Amino acid sequence: MPRWIKFLIALALGIAAGVVYGWVLSPVQYVDIAPASLRTDYRTDYALMTAQVYYADRDLDAAARRLTVFGSDPPAEIASQALTYAFQNNFPEADIKLLQELASALQTWQPAGGAP
Amino acid sequence: MTFLRRIPWLLVGGVALGVALGLVYTWIVSPVTYVDAAPDALRSDFKDQYRVLIASAYQADGDLDRARARLASLRDPDPAAALTGQASALLAAGDPDGSAYALLQLAQAVQPPAPTAAASSTPTIIVVPATMPPTDTPFITDTPGGPPTDTPSVSETPFTPTVTPFLSATPRPSRTPTPTPGLPYALAAQETVCNANLLDALIQVQVRDAAGYPVPGVDILVTWDGGREHIFTGLKPELGNGYADFAMTPGIVYSVQVASGGAPVEGLEAPTCEAGGVTWWGSLRLVFQQP
Repeated sequence: MPRWIKFLIALALGIAAGVVYGWVLSPVQYVDIAPASLRTDYRTDYALMTAQVYYADRDLDAAARRLTVFGSDPPAEIASQALTYAFQNNFPEADIKLLQELASALQTWQPAGGAP
Repeated sequence: MTFLRRIPWLLVGGVALGVALGLVYTWIVSPVTYVDAAPDALRSDFKDQYRVLIASAYQADGDLDRARARLASLRDPDPAAALTGQASALLAAGDPDGSAYALLQLAQAVQPPAPTAAASSTPTIIVVPATMPPTDTPFITDTPGGPPTDTPSVSETPFTPTVTPFLSATPRPSRTPTPTPGLPYALAAQETVCNANLLDALIQVQVRDAAGYPVPGVDILVTWDGGREHIFTGLKPELGNGYADFAMTPGIVYSVQVASGGAPVEGLEAPTCEAGGVTWWGSLRLVFQQP
């Protein structure tokens, strides 16, 4: 067997070992993540909490500000995504109504100092 | 040297290079990405925001079971302590977003219940040794004491992960009343505390609800001729969640009342204590309780 083939086999084995180690045995640990990385049900719950608070205080600016933790998506889009998930997963009707109300209000919301 | 010549350097080099390439790819080029993380992995400041939102939602709907489930997803070792600590830090910073009260209210709701005999117990004054700083050690305890054991902790009902969304099984918030409202607090006890180890003459306030449980987050108004100050219970949890204190200046007469209502306790002045020929300024202990 030519030496370069042996080298390539060894290289492939090494890469395989490195991938197993890096992805399985010792993957990168994220301990300080941002809310954008939350699982969909937690994101939906976050939006639902925001909707609950909005239902009580009617502070749409505060509600929009709370949803901005999920990144650059517009708050209305985040609320709509939560509403879709709630529909698909048979959330209680009352929760869906809260999310609908928030999503609807955010559709027409404009931030104080600029475009939505 | 013969030994070195026998090592298949080409193979060893290939494996080493392969491992290096594999690690570069998995750790840098394409690391494992957590797109389905749970709240306990959030950065500390985001966890704080999460707690505030949980507490605000609890204020809005009064659903304690749901609030507990949400808190459990943060996996705080002691959720009540985490809430109280965050509220304390917010109050120390002037409570810029006004969320400290909600945090304290939820802390009170989720904390394990006190022993049932607490409501009728008689406080015992314990003087700490002179070498210990008074603020680090509780010098007022209720008897009988001991950790509560009759209520399951939050950890026994862990957050249910993804198979089904945990919210789908949660009933509609019932808008049950929160625990704090009730009749105005009334003075239940007043006594002089002669503890030579206290550095200041203190007005020590303890606030309890009708069942005798300590109540954190209660606004206490202290007034005197030409001044007034608000203090809050629960900011020294090591002394009890219903505890607050205020340092008196000897010779000045104070009035103390629960800010939300109730009759003021007037004519409070630092008492003089004497023992063994030594005289010092003592403290006053006031217990407010809902009837």
